[in-house]
Amino acid sequence: MSKNEKALLEVKNIRKSFGKTEVLKGIDFTMGKGEVVAIIGSSGSGKTTLLRCLNFLETPDVGTISLDEKVIFDAENHKKLSDSEIRSNRLHFGLVFQSFNLFPQYNVKRNLTLAAELLEFEKIKNGSSQYKEKKDAVDAISKKADELLVQVGLLEKEKSYPCELSGGQQQRVAIARALALEPEVLCFDEPTSALDPELTGEVLKVIRELKNTNKTMIVVTHEMEFAKNVADTIIYMADGVIEEMGPSQEVFENPKSEKLKSFLKSSFEKL
Amino acid sequence: MKKVIALLMAVIFMCLGFAGCGKKDPAKDVENIKKAGKIVIGITDFAPMDYKENGEWVGFDADMAKEFAEYLGVEVEFQEITWEQKINEINGYKIDCVWNGMTLTDEVKEGMSCSVPYCINSQVVVVNKDVADKYQTAEACKELKFAVEAGSAGEEMAKENGFEYTAVTDMATALMEVKSGKSDAAIIDSLMAGAMIGEGTSYEELTYTAKLNNEEYGVGFRKGSNLVDEFNKFLEEKTKDGTVQNIATKYGVQEALVK
Amino acid sequence: MTFAEQFTIVLQALNEGFLQTLKLFIITLLGALPLGLVVSLGSMSRFKPISAVVKTFVWVIRGTPLMLQLMIIYYGCSIWSGGEDGRFAASAVAFIINYSCYFSEIYRGGIQGVPVGQQEAGQVLGMSKKQIFFKVTLLQMIKRIVPPMSNEIITLVKDTSLARIIALQEIIWAGFSFMKGSNGIAGQVWPLFFTGIYYLAFSGVLTILFNKIEKKLSYFKV
Repeated sequence: MSKNEKALLEVKNIRKSFGKTEVLKGIDFTMGKGEVVAIIGSSGSGKTTLLRCLNFLETPDVGTISLDEKVIFDAENHKKLSDSEIRSNRLHFGLVFQSFNLFPQYNVKRNLTLAAELLEFEKIKNGSSQYKEKKDAVDAISKKADELLVQVGLLEKEKSYPCELSGGQQQRVAIARALALEPEVLCFDEPTSALDPELTGEVLKVIRELKNTNKTMIVVTHEMEFAKNVADTIIYMADGVIEEMGPSQEVFENPKSEKLKSFLKSSFEKL
Repeated sequence: MKKVIALLMAVIFMCLGFAGCGKKDPAKDVENIKKAGKIVIGITDFAPMDYKENGEWVGFDADMAKEFAEYLGVEVEFQEITWEQKINEINGYKIDCVWNGMTLTDEVKEGMSCSVPYCINSQVVVVNKDVADKYQTAEACKELKFAVEAGSAGEEMAKENGFEYTAVTDMATALMEVKSGKSDAAIIDSLMAGAMIGEGTSYEELTYTAKLNNEEYGVGFRKGSNLVDEFNKFLEEKTKDGTVQNIATKYGVQEALVK
Repeated sequence: MTFAEQFTIVLQALNEGFLQTLKLFIITLLGALPLGLVVSLGSMSRFKPISAVVKTFVWVIRGTPLMLQLMIIYYGCSIWSGGEDGRFAASAVAFIINYSCYFSEIYRGGIQGVPVGQQEAGQVLGMSKKQIFFKVTLLQMIKRIVPPMSNEIITLVKDTSLARIIALQEIIWAGFSFMKGSNGIAGQVWPLFFTGIYYLAFSGVLTILFNKIEKKLSYFKV
C-alpha cells in the first residue's frame, strides 16, 4: 500500500479447504488503487486458489473480501446471496487464465464483446443502462473493443479465430477480453506458464504497459525478473499462508524468512 | 461382489417384469377370439399353402383358415411371421395359430398343442438334374454335402440318415446353396419341391430324387388351447361335406390330403 | 414372367419395405435424440442412486444384443398387437431405448469434453449459467458430438434391419421374400442385393449431410 492511503482491496482471514486439505490457512492483505502485487511461491502454496477465491471461482470457507470499504464477500452470509448478486460482485475482478480460455467458436473481436453485450442488454431490459437502444450499446462496446485491441497490438487480428493465433497472441486477446468489462482489479494466473519462452515477452510487455495506465493488478507468476521489475509489492506464499510481504525491492534484496531465501535462491538458479 | 449380485438381480427382475405383463388362459382361447372378433393366423409366404395374389392371402392353408374363421364366426387376419419365432409368436399372444404347411416334428409338438394331421408330406432330396440318376436312394446320397433349413424336418432327416450337412436359415437358402454349387444337395418338403423347382421356376436345373420319409402337416395352437378341439371338429365336418377336397384340388395338393 | 415384370414387382415391394425402414429410422431418432440427453444427464447426476440406476440400465442395454431386446420387448409384453402396427410400435420402443443409451454416452463425452476453463471464463466475465450454456459451451459440445453421432446414426440405418426378427416387414424382409418365394418370384437373390443400393443411397445422403455440418463447424478447433 505504497501509493494510496486508503485500501482499495482488503482481504481478511481467508481460509479454504478441499476435503481434508487446508489450502489457504488465513490470508490477510490489503492493496491500494493502481498497485501491482505479484504473488510468488512454489506450486501448491495456494497462490492460484487465492486468486480463484478473489474471482469467486472458489468459495472461501471463512473470511471476508472488501472493495472500497464495501464487503463484497463474507463467508458467513455468502449462501444468502442470489446468483445475480454474486455475478455483479464478481465483475469487480477480471481474471486472465494460464490457459487463456478464449471462446474458440468466436473470433477475436466477438470474444471481447460477447460478455459486455450480454450484460448491457440485461441492463437495457431492466432500465439501468446508459443506452436506450441495443444498437447504441453494441456500437459503444465495439468501439471499446477496437481500442483494447489496439492497446494489445492485435487490431489486425480482430476477425481471426483463436485457433489461428499463437499462444502469446491468444493471451493478449484474453487480457483485452478481461479489460473489456473494466474490472477494478485485474488478476493474472500464471499468464505466461503455458507459453513457449520466446512468446512470454509480448505478454509481459502488455502487462507492463497496463501498469503505466495505473491499473490495479494481482499477478501470480513464476517470472521472478518480471515480478521484481514490475510489481510494487511482493506476496510470498508458502503452505497456505503469506510467509512474507513487502515492497518488491526489499523482498528480493533482503528476504527475511528462511523459506523465501531458499525459494529465491532456487528460482534464480534456474535462470 | 455384493454390487455385482445386486446388478444381476436388477437385470433379472427387469426381464421378469417384461415377461410378467399380461397373462391369459389358453383354455379360453375360443372365447377370447370370439370376444375379439378375429383370429390371427401366423403364416409365411409359402406357396401353395399361403401366398399373396393381388394383395390377398390365398393357398390351401389360407383358404382353409378363412373357412375356419367363418366356422367360428370371426374375421380372419393373416400375419407373416419369422418362422423360427413361431413359438414365441404364439406364446406371446401375437398370433392364435401357426397354419403354414407345418410339419409335426417333435420340436413343434413339444412347443405347441397341435391339431390332427391334415396333409401327408415327405422330405425329398434335391440335386442338380445332370447327377439325378446317381442319387435315387438315400443310401446313394450319403456321399453328398447337404444344405438344410435349420430346425426343419429336413434337418432331422439329414441327422437321421447320417448326412453331412450345413444348416441354413430357410429352405430357399438351402436351394440357393445347391444352385450356386456350395452344397451338392438339399432336403425340402415334397409339396414345396413340386411348386418351387423344375421347369418354369427359378431352379430349372434342380430336381428331386430320393424320398426320405413320410410326415404330417398340422396346425399349431398354444399349449393347452381349446382351439385344438374346435379345429379338429371343424376339419372332420369340412372333410365330410367335401369342402377340404375342393380347396385342395384348387391348389393341386389333393394327393397329399389325409384320407 | 419377364425380368421387367419381375423388376416392377420387386421394386414396389422394396419401396414399401424401405418406407417402413425409413419410418423406423426417423421415429427412433425423434425419440432417442432427446431421451439420450435425459439419460446422459441422469448418468452424470450428482445424486448417486440415480446415476447408479441409469448407469446400470445403460450397461444392460448396451451390453445385450438389440435383437434380444426386440424379442423380449415384443414377445414378452402383451400390450403389442400381433399386427404390423404392434410390431412397429414394439420395434420403435426397442430402438428408442437402445439408441438413447448409445446417444447418452456420446452426449456425456460431448458435455464432459468441454474444458471446465470455458465455463470459468464465462463466469469471471459475469455471464449467467444459462448464458454460459447457450453462448459458450453448447456449440463446442455439438462440435464434439457430431462425428460420433453421425457414426451411430449411420449404424442405425443398417440396424433397422434387425426388426425383421419380430417380423417387421422392412426392406431386407421385402428383398428376402423373393428368395423364399413370393408373388410368383422365388429363388432370386438380386432383390436382396438390390436392397443394398437403398442402404447405400440412404447412408450416402446422411454422410453428405453430416460432412456438411462438420464442415460448417470446422472454422474453429476445440
